[in-house]
Amino acid sequence: MKRSLSITLCLLISFPLLAEEPGKMPEVSIDLKASDAKITQDDRDHWAFKKVERPDVPQVKNDRWVRNPIDAFILQKLERKGWKPAPAAVPGTLGRRLYLGLTGLPPTLKQQAAIDANSDPEQFDHLVKKLLASEAYGERWARHWLDIVRYAETNGYERDGMKPNVWRYRDYIIRALNDDVPFNQFILEQLAGDELETADSRTVIATGYYRLGPFDDEPADFAEDRFDQLDDMLNTTSQVFLGITLACARCHDHKFEALTQHDYYKMIAIFNPLTRPQSGRSDLDLPAGSVEQLANEQKRNGEIAKHNSNIDSINLAVALKRIQDGTSKLDEAIQKALKTPAGDRDSDAVKLIASKRNEIAADADSGLNDEQRDQLSQAKQAIKALREETPDLPRGYFFTESLENVPETNLLVRGKASSPGPVVQPGVPTVLTSVQPDFDNPTNHTTGRRLALANWIASESNPLTARVLVNRVWQHHFGVGIVRTPNDFGVMGAAPTHEALLDWLADWFVNEGEWSLKKLHALILSSNAYRMSSEWNESYAAEDPENNLLWRRPYRRLEVEAIRDSILAVSGQINRKMYGPSMYPYVPSDALDNHADKQKIWPAFNEEEANRRTIYSYVKRSLIVPFLEVLDLCDTTKSTPQRIVTSVAPQALTLFNGKFVNRQAEYFAKRLETEAGDGSAAQITLAFKLALCREPTATELQVMTDFLATETKKFREEDADGKLATSPEYRALVQICRVIFNLNEFAYPD
Amino acid sequence: MNRFMSPNQTPCRNSRREFLWETGAGFTGLAMLDLLSRDGFFDKLRAEDKEGLSGLLAPKKPHFEAKASRCVFFFMNGGPSQIDTFDPKPVLDKHHGEEYKGELEVGSNGRAIGYLMKSPFKFQKHGESGLEISDLYPHLSTHADDLCLFRSCYTDTAAHASGCIQMNTGKVGIGSPSIGSWVNYGLGTISQDLPGYVVMTDPRGGPIGSASNWSSGYIPAAYQGTMFRSSGTPLLNMENPKGVTDRGQRKSLDLLGALNQQHRRTRKFESELEARIESYELAYRMQVAAKDVVDLSQESAKTHERYGLNDKITADFGRKCLITKRLLESGVRFIQLYSGGGHIEDTWDGHTDCITNHKLHAGETDKPMAALMQDMKDIGLWDETLFVWGGEFGRTPTSEGIGKPGRDHNWHAFTMWLAGGGVKGGQAIGASDDLGFGIADRPVHVSDFHATILHLMGLDHNLLSFYYQGLDQRLTGPDEAHIVEEALA
Repeated sequence: MKRSLSITLCLLISFPLLAEEPGKMPEVSIDLKASDAKITQDDRDHWAFKKVERPDVPQVKNDRWVRNPIDAFILQKLERKGWKPAPAAVPGTLGRRLYLGLTGLPPTLKQQAAIDANSDPEQFDHLVKKLLASEAYGERWARHWLDIVRYAETNGYERDGMKPNVWRYRDYIIRALNDDVPFNQFILEQLAGDELETADSRTVIATGYYRLGPFDDEPADFAEDRFDQLDDMLNTTSQVFLGITLACARCHDHKFEALTQHDYYKMIAIFNPLTRPQSGRSDLDLPAGSVEQLANEQKRNGEIAKHNSNIDSINLAVALKRIQDGTSKLDEAIQKALKTPAGDRDSDAVKLIASKRNEIAADADSGLNDEQRDQLSQAKQAIKALREETPDLPRGYFFTESLENVPETNLLVRGKASSPGPVVQPGVPTVLTSVQPDFDNPTNHTTGRRLALANWIASESNPLTARVLVNRVWQHHFGVGIVRTPNDFGVMGAAPTHEALLDWLADWFVNEGEWSLKKLHALILSSNAYRMSSEWNESYAAEDPENNLLWRRPYRRLEVEAIRDSILAVSGQINRKMYGPSMYPYVPSDALDNHADKQKIWPAFNEEEANRRTIYSYVKRSLIVPFLEVLDLCDTTKSTPQRIVTSVAPQALTLFNGKFVNRQAEYFAKRLETEAGDGSAAQITLAFKLALCREPTATELQVMTDFLATETKKFREEDADGKLATSPEYRALVQICRVIFNLNEFAYPD
Repeated sequence: MNRFMSPNQTPCRNSRREFLWETGAGFTGLAMLDLLSRDGFFDKLRAEDKEGLSGLLAPKKPHFEAKASRCVFFFMNGGPSQIDTFDPKPVLDKHHGEEYKGELEVGSNGRAIGYLMKSPFKFQKHGESGLEISDLYPHLSTHADDLCLFRSCYTDTAAHASGCIQMNTGKVGIGSPSIGSWVNYGLGTISQDLPGYVVMTDPRGGPIGSASNWSSGYIPAAYQGTMFRSSGTPLLNMENPKGVTDRGQRKSLDLLGALNQQHRRTRKFESELEARIESYELAYRMQVAAKDVVDLSQESAKTHERYGLNDKITADFGRKCLITKRLLESGVRFIQLYSGGGHIEDTWDGHTDCITNHKLHAGETDKPMAALMQDMKDIGLWDETLFVWGGEFGRTPTSEGIGKPGRDHNWHAFTMWLAGGGVKGGQAIGASDDLGFGIADRPVHVSDFHATILHLMGLDHNLLSFYYQGLDQRLTGPDEAHIVEEALA
């Protein structure tokens, strides 16, 4: 494809067409084969589209610095310039970095003590393994994944309806990471978990991935809306797993990438059979399981229904007899309904009897003879046994697919649903493979198209999958990726700063690493590159201000989740309850004023629940928790590969004046009083250890002790009659704690 | 000039990014955002960075000279009826009570469809221009010669949520930056003690879609609209925490500043740390400035009267307009005021009784808007301020149900207006058809309207872009939009 030509084409095409009236599209003949033929060898030769070949590990002069091949690749580039990497971070700093990076929580005093005692590199390798084995690891890293899959729990727009049980997808991610599900399997489960031979509740819940996006439940144009939803799946999938911006090819061939409009619709055809379980405008959840599991549950339900029907007929008969005897204690209305012969009952009577099932049974109970009592007991036993034998399947939020009414997919002229072009068969972008996967291989209940896609993405020979993934992991450990545009590996994306390293890692990950994320983490975190300090070097900075060569540890602010969770951990209030329905963090009532339905929008505050880790907070698209929003939570409507970092005044207002931080400062002060006793120096020292994992310097200690003394005095004067319930010493200490939570060092670990 | 400076004219054109990556700069984090934030002016020397301000919010030069530097958007939430306000339809009067036989789609969501219904409000010519305005607006009519009516606006959706979102972000889907965010992104903020983009909602509730309407979408959160309450504490978390006096607040801030400076001593090279230290001082100044802005006791009794603060009907919108005056004086870049919010009956969504509904909502807003516009003329800020009025769509000439006074949504044709800096007033652009249902002349799409607003503020809608998801995203893109030239003075 000649890019310059396509720009010209775009100009030629878009201008005259736009002048036309809607609905009067000119006839456009689109030749799909010619479209594929536009892709040239040049296009296929883009570095990221070529098969990964493992490069040789470079030889370096200072091989003592090389703990693993990563270091060799980094050092090679530094040595070419005659540069040296920054010295190793001190153990306390490295420990805090590892804890926050892997678990999102600071080390406790005990954990800090263990680090201080073991400062050699091997001890840190053990620490990495320990942290990777902790449950907090999954909670921390699942959030990174949720960012790129546009996770939220409502659909947005007018009603911003709930996505029922969608949190099970979030739990699936946490568990999958903690269980170290191999990444190729992780792909299969999310893209085709229902089509796998090993499908079960877990893998079906994983396919909730497709259904996380926003959608309008009152669209202006239903056909257009359907394609918007498909576009959301395509856009997310192509960026998350392949790092390509295929969504740009909806209306015309991509203007800069070798991606055609045909490529776009081939991928749409893969997702098109998916349907949204819905009742009117309400989005529905469903029992999650394999076809067999669902059939078993249905069969069980049928048997239970039979037993229930037997129970009912006995109870109804006895209750009726008691009515005739005049011994019934039931309401007049129920009696009247029961007295009407079953065939003659109107719908109200039928409903009434069904809704008063328990009351009728209770009334009948005293009239049962032994035989009836036996029958009832046996039926109940049988139901219990059936439920034990085949337990309820969990309910999940995912699309369904069947082999009936599989829709044809048309290429849409200029991307408009009202202008269908030629029919398109499922496929993957031509530039990425010379042999299309077999998309004509249905399972016994689905088209098998998504499974074919998933297998192609998860295959060792896919040029992008492993590169994109190792880059994401690298990015979260170093602040930026080797490719600085993690969702865009195309020609418009950034070139890798260390292409050979990226390829080596991608190859290692698939082969030695066997797609294990934990192995990949352990490798990266055992490198000296990771363990450098952030020491500055004036002359290196002059030449490489962006630290592209990685001559020092880059700085990056913690994400809002890690900030909030750290505050809760330090104050001692964190609730480590995992999984399950989301909690609702505190939202000031003022923040609800802007909502159309301010009464119902947010449930009452439950502090214990709200003290759970931030990954469990409810994500409502029309009301992002202000604390999270202001501190740069990701966009929830589209895949976000990297959080934006801003420093603006509303953040300072939130962290310095907001209720959450000030309340935690009070808990923190109480904790200090309890654990450190009355002495100012001991309290301040403990506060520094807990919050910053280090002791205060002499100057810091002096400044803070002085503050405590003068503020205690001031607080005493300001409350001369002693009306306040708390002591002036405590109130001064609360201020110290508030300040500590706001320190730059708290949010920017070294 | 290097070759990368050429403006990116096409929706998918990508010259700025080519510049970024081709030069091998590999900008990251704030450095990259900073450059992105100066989209179209990446020659650093041109950015008028004030010392100590973070690059994101620093004032920037517009693409070209323009009169208006700030904007007030009166958002009539729910969809005001053009037929009853700014678009007289004598032919409709003649067909009152008849069935509508045209081709346009009537009724949203299967609502009842009635007969054609004339406006009960009288239209009169006003000012030298003789612009016709209904008697719902006795005060605003005095500014008739300044109003530029767009009587042929259309939008792509008949639903409130997507309609509001399109009027604010240019897209029917959620997740894109709103026009106020774009303007602040393009021009930076003037006032450094107040947010650059202020939103004041109706006390009865916010618009459908809430914060999606003033979201910064995929551009940095620094550009999102800040909710401002018209009484008490205007900003979230603006008050000192309970039990902390102003003295104590200052002392704690000083301690924080001292410790952060100490920390920075060995990390001088980290600009983010400095920006964060600065943000706490900005926040402190904002606490003072915001409280001051809503303290209307500083305004005369006569002013209170002119804005309708003494009348229960106009008091709330009057307060908002008076605060708007003070915000404009303080240099706030973009202010959006919502009339109507919460449940249907409390917005302009006159399904059951459009007549009573519009009397109420026009009555609440007419006098305060007129007072604000007059004040801007009197204090010399008229030319620097662009006024925008309108809702997410208009209303049908048919009643909703036979013999009932309600009107349904009309997205085929409705009226918006502009006034103030750079606007040619006293005219009506375009025309709806004889019944006020469809467009008879000069269609103006929401994106054309947006392009015109940006132009009036010195921004080229084709240049103002942010690279995201493989595209240079724009307020008016990816389709082509056109400035409505007739509106320009």
